[in-house]
Amino acid sequence: MQTREVISTGNQLAAKAAVDAGCMFFGGYPLTPSSEIMHVLSDSLPDKGGVSIQMEDEIAGICSVIGAAMVGQRALTATSGPGMSLKAEQLGLAQMAEVPLVCVNVMRGGPSTGLPTRVAQGDILQAKNPSHGDYKSITLCAGTLAECYTEVVRAFNIADRFMQPVIVLLDETIGHMHGKADIPTAEDVAAGIVPRKRFDGPAEEYFPYDCEHDEPAVLNPMYEGYRYHFTGLHHDKNGYPTEEIETCRKLIQRLEDKVALHEDEVESYEEFMMDDADIMIIAYGSVSLAAKESIRHLRAEGIKAGLFRPITIWPSPATQIKKHTDKIDKVLVVELNIGQYHGEIQRAAARLDIDGLFKVNGRPISPYEIVTKVKEL
Amino acid sequence: MSTKTLMRFTGVGGQGVLLAGEIFAAAKIKTGGHGLKTATYTSQVRGGPTVVDIQLDDQEIYYPYANDGEIGFMLSVADVSYNTFKSGVKPGGTIVVDPNLVHPTDEDRKMWKIHEIPIITIAKEEVGNVITQSVVALAIANTMMDAIDKQTLIDTMLSKVPAKVHEVNKAAYDLGEKYAKEAMA
Repeated sequence: MQTREVISTGNQLAAKAAVDAGCMFFGGYPLTPSSEIMHVLSDSLPDKGGVSIQMEDEIAGICSVIGAAMVGQRALTATSGPGMSLKAEQLGLAQMAEVPLVCVNVMRGGPSTGLPTRVAQGDILQAKNPSHGDYKSITLCAGTLAECYTEVVRAFNIADRFMQPVIVLLDETIGHMHGKADIPTAEDVAAGIVPRKRFDGPAEEYFPYDCEHDEPAVLNPMYEGYRYHFTGLHHDKNGYPTEEIETCRKLIQRLEDKVALHEDEVESYEEFMMDDADIMIIAYGSVSLAAKESIRHLRAEGIKAGLFRPITIWPSPATQIKKHTDKIDKVLVVELNIGQYHGEIQRAAARLDIDGLFKVNGRPISPYEIVTKVKEL
Repeated sequence: MSTKTLMRFTGVGGQGVLLAGEIFAAAKIKTGGHGLKTATYTSQVRGGPTVVDIQLDDQEIYYPYANDGEIGFMLSVADVSYNTFKSGVKPGGTIVVDPNLVHPTDEDRKMWKIHEIPIITIAKEEVGNVITQSVVALAIANTMMDAIDKQTLIDTMLSKVPAKVHEVNKAAYDLGEKYAKEAMA
């Protein structure tokens, strides 16, 4: 595939990706450190005939995005942790009603207002379950500048395939760092767009939620003659509220299975110098950059360390993780929180002796801290 | 990793230290190398201490921040940032300060090569436009570190500023270079 070289920040690349992926609507509220995504889209979406609106708050931002998605548009909102907390209820509505949208979260220190301009990865578990109830979150995490572009593109395609929100996690470091990225051409991205499924039969035979046990709803754009009811309540094949026992069970099981039985379609990870590794570092997002640098130093000293980097964070690449952790004794999870993904790695590995290096003061983890920790293992 | 150049620009929010970093990174990338600019600032955006780390290398750069103790060059135009970030500069490294705004201690002068250049005054009075201070700083850093081909850097800088201010920015670069050479003499 052809690529093009751009010099940019992660946030600018995320915005560029949305435009190239055919996103025509942005609704949000500027929140440090994600604001540049909105700044760029305020310029570039109107130029393409799209719309970018600064709403009155983060809640209204995602509500407007749900509306845009329901008339058939690809739509985006972007925020940081405090905004995710506000958007949580609407993310749940989009899960329940099966509305595809993309939500970028550029992570900063939390909880609450936290450390607005500082890097953190404290929203990992929130991304798994932002709202109450059962559903299967899909969360992607960019670990390079180029991935700020490619993962947003992938998020739009996954959202339309699975008919649900997809969260893309950046962090302050990767959102604001400025350098070179080799990204796919806009033509290749456009060619890779798979449009949402739609029902083309007679309107009276249209039942959006009458689908196979592992398939998403087929929501035709509203105002095109295909009528259905839209609700956050448990609903029947028409979308009308119901408490019928089997319908309720099947609905929630389907929300789980439409992703769980097709995890191979969303799984993504990088293995860096893992072939001969006898120490496995697991890191994602900007921390993986420090990990790669640390591996350069460790290898120079003859220590065979490698990096496993989940790109699709939820569902986690658990099977592949276990393949490695069954063979490698020394496993270290490095993250900018107090062990949120560490728990998932323990689960995937079925081991309680996974080591961790955590930091929660808004400062990045340096390669030397990782080198020191690895030597202590 | 001997090919790596690490520089740190520090000031307070709003002074424009970010732009110099972007220009350095872009110029290095133009020459086929790798350049990365990473800024850290506080929630007090205007007036809070700001630091920009610039890494230039022939091989791929992973970690986007300069490691403390490895920085060869720092430029500072605010006391608060100077004191917060000076410890990142390796012993014997070069530090340029604006003497009207930054006041190094005697111990600092033993630890590092400290040059005093009144960057803001040069921009304001000699160039005639205070905004050009980031270009004066760019010229000083490049002259002292010999980091990037001068013409590539100037061309990159000009591509990032409006055409109507090209002449004034060229003048700012020339003055920065002149003062840097005098300081090193």
